[in-house]
Parts: sequence; C-alpha cells; structure tokens
Amino acid sequence: MDRDLLRQCLVYHGESLFSKLKCEQTENPDFQAVVSDLGIATNERKVTEKGSSLVEQFIARKADILFSPAWRTATPQEQDHEEEEAAEPYATMPPLELFMELSFEERRSMIYRDLEKGDVVVGRINNIREYGFFLTLICMAGGLKRDIVDLELSALCHVREIPSSGSHDDPLSYYQIGDFIRAGVKDIDRYQEKITVSLQQGSLCPALKHIKLGVITQEEMPIHYSRSVRAAADSRETYECILKSCHGYQNPSVVEYLLEKVGISDRHPPSMMRGLQSKLFQEDDFASAIRKKQSASWALKCVRAGVDHFKHGRHVEAMNEYNKALEIDTSNVEALVARGALYANKGSILKAISDFELALENCPDHRNARKYLCQTLVERGKQLEEQEKLVTAEGIYRRALSLDDSNPEAKEALHNISDLIQKSIRLREEALAKEQVKPKSSQTSAEKLRKILKEEKRMKKKKKRATSSSPSSSSSRCSSSRSSSSRKRSKKKKKRRRKSERGSKRHRRISSRESRKSEEDRKEKEDEEAECYPEPPNTSATFLNQTGGLMFGGEDEVAGRDREARKGGLLNSVSAASEEDDSDSSRRETKRRDGAERRTRTDEQSRSPQGRGRSRERKLSIERGRDDYRKDSESQRRSSFEENQARKSSSSSAEVEHSRKSSFLPEYSGNSCSASKQLERRMSQDSSSRNSFDGGRYENRGKKEEEPVKREKEAGKERSEVEGHTSGWGKVNAGSQNGQSGTGPKKELPANLLEIFNQIAQFEKKKGSQAKVPK
Amino acid sequence: MEGPSRRLSASRDGASKLLERRGSEGDADTETSRDTRTHFRVCRFIMEIGVKLGMHSIPVATACVLYHRFFKRVCLREYEPYLVAMSCVYLAGKVEEQHIRTRDIVNVSHRYFNKGSAPLECDKEFWELRDSVVQCELLILRQLGFHVSIEHPHKYLLHFLLSVKSLVNRHAWSRTPVAETSWALLRDCYHGNMSIRHTPQHIAIATLYLALNSYGVELPVGEKEWWQVLCENVTKADIHAVISDLLKLYDMEAKCV
Repeated sequence: MDRDLLRQCLVYHGESLFSKLKCEQTENPDFQAVVSDLGIATNERKVTEKGSSLVEQFIARKADILFSPAWRTATPQEQDHEEEEAAEPYATMPPLELFMELSFEERRSMIYRDLEKGDVVVGRINNIREYGFFLTLICMAGGLKRDIVDLELSALCHVREIPSSGSHDDPLSYYQIGDFIRAGVKDIDRYQEKITVSLQQGSLCPALKHIKLGVITQEEMPIHYSRSVRAAADSRETYECILKSCHGYQNPSVVEYLLEKVGISDRHPPSMMRGLQSKLFQEDDFASAIRKKQSASWALKCVRAGVDHFKHGRHVEAMNEYNKALEIDTSNVEALVARGALYANKGSILKAISDFELALENCPDHRNARKYLCQTLVERGKQLEEQEKLVTAEGIYRRALSLDDSNPEAKEALHNISDLIQKSIRLREEALAKEQVKPKSSQTSAEKLRKILKEEKRMKKKKKRATSSSPSSSSSRCSSSRSSSSRKRSKKKKKRRRKSERGSKRHRRISSRESRKSEEDRKEKEDEEAECYPEPPNTSATFLNQTGGLMFGGEDEVAGRDREARKGGLLNSVSAASEEDDSDSSRRETKRRDGAERRTRTDEQSRSPQGRGRSRERKLSIERGRDDYRKDSESQRRSSFEENQARKSSSSSAEVEHSRKSSFLPEYSGNSCSASKQLERRMSQDSSSRNSFDGGRYENRGKKEEEPVKREKEAGKERSEVEGHTSGWGKVNAGSQNGQSGTGPKKELPANLLEIFNQIAQFEKKKGSQAKVPK
Repeated sequence: MEGPSRRLSASRDGASKLLERRGSEGDADTETSRDTRTHFRVCRFIMEIGVKLGMHSIPVATACVLYHRFFKRVCLREYEPYLVAMSCVYLAGKVEEQHIRTRDIVNVSHRYFNKGSAPLECDKEFWELRDSVVQCELLILRQLGFHVSIEHPHKYLLHFLLSVKSLVNRHAWSRTPVAETSWALLRDCYHGNMSIRHTPQHIAIATLYLALNSYGVELPVGEKEWWQVLCENVTKADIHAVISDLLKLYDMEAKCV
C-alpha cells in the first residue's frame, strides 16, 4: 500500500475513515503493516458532507485497490506537443482557473509554487539593460498550463543566457522592447519571487527540448492563450462551449489519444470491481488465443478429410481439403506437409518442395516434413540430372543429405552424381586428348576455323576499331586463305563464334584475376607474339594460353587445377553473368555481339528441326567437298599451319579447361579446341552418345543453352532411326583415337572420319527421302 | 436450459445450450431487484468478453448502453439476456468502428460459460450460435429504432482530467492515480443502467469527483468550484446522485457474483 497516498487521504477524510479502514481492512496484511504509522496524522480535520460516509465506506472497502502501488497501469507521457501540432488531436482548453475566477493572490502563490526550472514561458520585453532584458510573463507555453497574464510576473533574461549569433555583436541588439519572447525558466526564487529565464536551448527539460526559444510572433502564441483571451473577453464563452467547438473534441480517435496521453491502458483496463481485476483474465481465454486453437483444430479436421480422400485416390478432393485447411490456418504444418506430399505425388516437385520448406519454417522439427522434403529433393535432383544440370543436382542432393544424413537414396544419388561428374570430366579430358591428335590429320576443322576466323575478323574490323585487342594485321594475313563462304557456313560460323564468345568471357573473368598483376607483361608478350603469329582477336585467351604455358609445370598439376577451375567455372556459369567484373571495353563489344548472335540463333532455331535433316545433308556434302579441297591445298596450308593454330585457339577459345589443357601443349592448342568444339557439336546433333561429352558441355554453358539442347533433343527423337546407326560413332571415334594417338595418326584418321561421314550421309539421304514422302 | 430456450425468439435450439444461466435467485427478492441483478451479471459478462475480445472502452460502453436501452423497452422475461448481450457487443463493434467478428464473440462466450472447454468445432452448433447472434442484432436494431449512436462520458472525462491536472502541482498529481481511478469508476458504472439515467457530463464529473475525493486531493476554489466550470448546470446533488448510484453497484457486486 502506498503509505503517503493513504496518509493524504486520511488527512482529508479524518478519523471516521480511519476507523472504517481498520474495520474493513483487518485481513489485509499490507494495511496492517502501515497502520501504525497512520494513527498520528489523522485527527486534524473533520469534513461533514452529505454522502461522505458512503464515500468513506467505499474508500475503506476498496482501499487495497485504491492504494495499491500497482494501480498505476502506465506512466503518463509528459510530452506536450500542442504547440507543434497544427491539427489539434484533442481540445486544448484554456486554464481552468480562468473560469473558476480564482483570486489574484491564490493564483500568484500557485504559480510560484508550481513553476519549475525547465518550463517554457512566453513574455513581452519591457526593459532592456546592459546586463540583459526584463520580460513581463504572458502565458505558459509548456510544462505547466496556467493563467498568468494578469499576475504581473517579471522575469530577467541575463545577457549570458542569450545565444550570440556572431562573436563581435552585442546579442542584446537583436531585441527590442515589445518583442514576444519564448524562453525557458532557468531559475525561480520562491521566497523573493524572482524568476530568471534563458534563451539557451539547454535550459529546457528533456521533454520540451523540441520547443524553439527566442522571438516569436503573435501568431505563434500558444492556442490555449488565444482561447483564454477570447474567453476572458466574452463571458458567454464557457468551458463547455469552447470544448465542443474545438476540432480536437470531434476527433474520432480522441479517446485513444488521450488515454495514451494520461497513461491509461485500454487493453488491460482498470476496474474497481473485484471480479474485473486484470490479473483474473487468463490469456487462454482471449479471443485471439481461442481462435488460433480453433483454427488449428478445424484445419486439422480438413487435413484428415483430405488424407482420407487421398487414400482413396480422390486427389482433387484431397487437394481441395488441404487448400481449405490452409485457408483456415495459413501456416498449418500438417496441411502443408499433406499438400506437399500430394504435389510430389502428382509430379509438381517444385510446389511440393516449397510446401515442405514452408512447413519446416513453421515447425523445424517436423519429422515427416523433413523426410518428405528429403525424398522430394532427391527426386528433384534426378530430374535435374536428366536435364544434365549435374552440379545443381549435386547441390540438391547435398541439401537433401543435410536434412537427413542417413537417407540412403540421397547418399547413393550423391555418390553417383559425383562419379558422373568425375567421369564426365575424365571423358572430356579423353576427348580433348583425342581431339588434339585428330584435327592435325583431318584438316577439315582447321580449315573451317580459319575461314571462320577470317570472317570474324572482317566483321570485327567493320564493327569496332576501338578494341585494343582487335587485330588489324591478322585479317590481311588471313585473307590469303580462301573465301568461299556459303550462307550455310556463315551461319555455322556465327554459332561457333557465339560459343567462343562465351568461352572467352569466362576466360576473361578468370584471367582478370591473374592478369591484373601482370598487365604490362601481357602487353609485351602480345607484341612479341604478334611478330610470330597473327594477332588473335581475343587477347585474354591468348594470354591465358601463354601464362598457362608459363605457369603450369607438370601435367598432374594441370589436371588438378583443371578440375578446380572447372568447378569454379561451373559455379560461375550457374550464377548470374553479373558476376563478371571485367571492365575493359571489349566486354561491351561482346555484349553487342551477343545480341546479334542471339538473333541469329533464334533464326536458326526457328528453322530446326524440320530443316535440319536437309541442312545436315548439305553440311555433310560441304564437308566432303572441303576434304577434297584440303587435299589440294594441303601444302599451302602447311606453311601457315602454326599461324592458324594460334588464331584458332584465340577465336574459338572454348571452355576454360580446353584452352587450359591445351596450354601446355601449345602446338596442338588451336586444333584441339576448335576440333573438339566441332566434334561436340556434331555429336550433340547426330549421336545419342552425348553423355560422354555433353555432360560437361551443358554445364559449362549453363542455362543459356537449355533451349537449344531441348530442341536438339526433339530433333534427336525425330531422328531416332539415325541414332541407331550412328550411336556407335563415339566409340568408333574413340577407338580410332586410341589406336592413333601413339605415333603419327594424321593420315589415317581422316579416312576413318570420311567413312563415317559417308555412312551418315547415306543414311541421311535415305531418311530425307523417307521423310519427304509423307509431306 | 428449458427456460431460456423457450424465450429465445431469434434462435431456439443453438443458443440455449450456451446461454444457460447459472444459479437461480432467491424467491424473497422483488422482481425489479432480481432484474437489476440479472442485468448486472449480463453487463459483467459484456465487460469480461470485451476485455477478452480486445475491445476498447467505448465499444464496451456502447454495448452496455444498447443492452440497457433494449431491456428498457422490452421485458426481461421475453428475451435471453446473454444472447442480447452478445449481439449488443457485435453491434457496438460496428457502431464504434471496432469490428468484432461473430466467431470470436461466440468462441469467447462459449469459453465464458464453459470454463476451460475446448474451442467449438466447426459444426452445426457453431453456425446456429453464430446465426442467432446475427439475427438478434437485427432484433435489437428494430427495437431501438436504429438509434444506436451514443454520447459517452469518456471524452468529457479525459478532457476534464487534463484541465484539472494543470490545477494541481505536477508532483502531487503524478503521485496520485486519479486518472486510473476515475477511468475505472467510469467503466464500472456501466454495470447498471445509470449510464442511461444520467447525462454524460454528470457521470464524468462524478467519477472525477469521487476519484479526487478518494485520494484527498484538494483543488483550489475560486468564485466557482471546478465542477461548476466544467459543466454549467451540474449541482452537488447531481454529483452525489451519480456517486450513490455508482457505489450501489459496488455493493451489488458482492451480492451478485
């Protein structure tokens, strides 16, 4: 019990209350604790008033509530915003004593009693001296609201308390007699009745810090002052009239606002009734708690019904029930899990995963959700695997295992896919090794590349001269080679270039890390190189070749690095292209070119697959023709072979590992790259033994290639007959490669290839004629 | 169970189970005092579910006034008071722009009558209860002639509190929980029908007066008393009338609950 409060009350009510209290509160130990102190002060005053005994009875009975220290539900906010707020949130009333017509003396003594340091007053300057100016106080502007206009209160503002704007000026010169000044009370001498004020912002109490001190205009006077002036002038302006005419009184949320202002909680409202004490209310009985429980149980009922439907194979009904459950209770874990399971069953694996994930978010330990999510992830991983996104699939498997590290399926899948990735790397390496040998003998690809290069350079020359790496000399050198370019071939070229671009981008990214330190170095090397070889169109690729040659010591090391780099590259390619941080101008060019190529690509795609059969036919014939040509001009080519190699390597700078790999075999680098590319491409079109090469290839390309791949697949279906024949292609090739890789297989391989080409061509002719018939 | 259900006009079967009144009155009481006690209990019910529904003071007060006004026009024997109370809560939520969902009202009321019970299932019973609340709301509206806007003392009281506060030394004021007490008294006065018998200003002044009096806070007196300023036509007798009505309600609590 609040002893001071109780004493204050007893002083007011007198002895009779005390006896009633003693009577009513006998069982209250709190009262017994304080009662001994209370007896002294009681018998001073006796108020006899009508109904007072009833009130005393009430006080005595409710004393434990009234004087409980916990009765104060909240601390009122002391801040007084009224001057700052243009729209008054509640009725700002003139001081009550104005209407009560309190005597001058009483009001004066009250203001000296209640005025405190830090309050804000408004006054008019009536006298300026060299040590400061004197104010006649007009009204209060914060902290306390009193009617003081006629109290003849005078306050001194010392010159020290005036913030000076400049060092040389006399601060007092800014003030004139008659100015309205808003100032903070600095000190008050209650006995001598002297008030000193300050214009320093620091003199205000913290709650009033926002009020600006200094000269104010008539309009800036507090609202309650202007209202009290009106009320004083007109006796018809009663408190009630003013109250009802205020905007603030009509504010629909005035009650909430004022409750907060005076510090009463409306969520746990106070009451004198014993049955309504807020401690008696249990949180379980509140509407929100019941509703939550109820929703959960209703949703569960729906889920049960849904599961029942599901068991009987009525999937649509089951889905409806689950959705209803989730409508009732949006985060119902059971419903989410059940719906996820249904989705998974229906093959909507992504939806299933998102449901399970949401369920786990709400309830991280839900066993079924974990289990199902794990299984579904494995399922999804398999899907991705089928789509050749091995790395993504691997990530998915890893996630599945992180959810349930004992899941045998996920373990196995992860194991398999790791193997698969390793295998694809190995296969690619093998393919690389093979390619390094083959193109030397079969000059077709080299020739093709040369042409492509020439085309490219011509294009480049037209497009951008600004490129630092754009070789002006190489084109002239290249121009010696033939230039019979059919439309078909140019198209092919574009395709290839697109690939090479992508490759080179990656090159640049990787090389940018290494190259920063040796930028100058590179330039020099380039110059040197330009003397020996035609300058490659893509410097970074060349650079990589060179540095690779310089940096990598042994083959083992290279292989190891290779794998690492591949991984990095893969990750990079999976993530957005925005990661590329090369800032050189060639990047922009690449983009532009990319745009152009995309156009051509779509063009290409639109033609496939109907036109593919025929076009391939033509292509083959061209190749054959080229082979013939090759024989004619072999000697000529021989002479410029090394040049070509360099050029090819740069232009068709395929995947990182290709060039990396080739980098320590600089002789073969160009050929290997271009040829491998060509080979891959052909294989992806023609053969079903794609896996060996394509695994890596698709990964490297990333998502960009998804569509073409699909199209190729479609095309592949169409040509299922062909595949039967050509499926052995890779193996044959591999075999031949194995056989020839030893010493000098240059002469034998083209014959081998030719044989195969012829086979394919024959088949295609047959197939083409067959296909034409139904049309 | 059989008693109230016969009287239910809006919903015959559903509400009766829920709204079974507990305890029967002694026979010696006169009918009016028995009615007063019933009203006290029902108003207590309104206030309790009001707190549980998170309602503000004004909607709760409106619900109580609607309830009292309704039973001023009709006989208590004719209608089930608890159902009327639930509908009054629902209607008050609409009138005072703090919409309360019928589902919550039914849930909280169900819990009120069946302490510690599980929430209602989403079945026939629930929907019948819900429908009866909605239908009874229409009945109330018709009985009151669609006059449902009410002026409450709350706004007055809060403004009066601010005015009186600046008459008192701020330290003395912050030590004394006058605001809480007067607000509690104001909320409590809705247990009875005094809210429709006295003017809002008088109630506001009386609660403030009683709160100040309870703590022995003395205000300066000039030509006029503070309460005379706050309301022109209020007399000391008015204030005491309100206070004695209010104090009777506190006495009734001991008898009714």
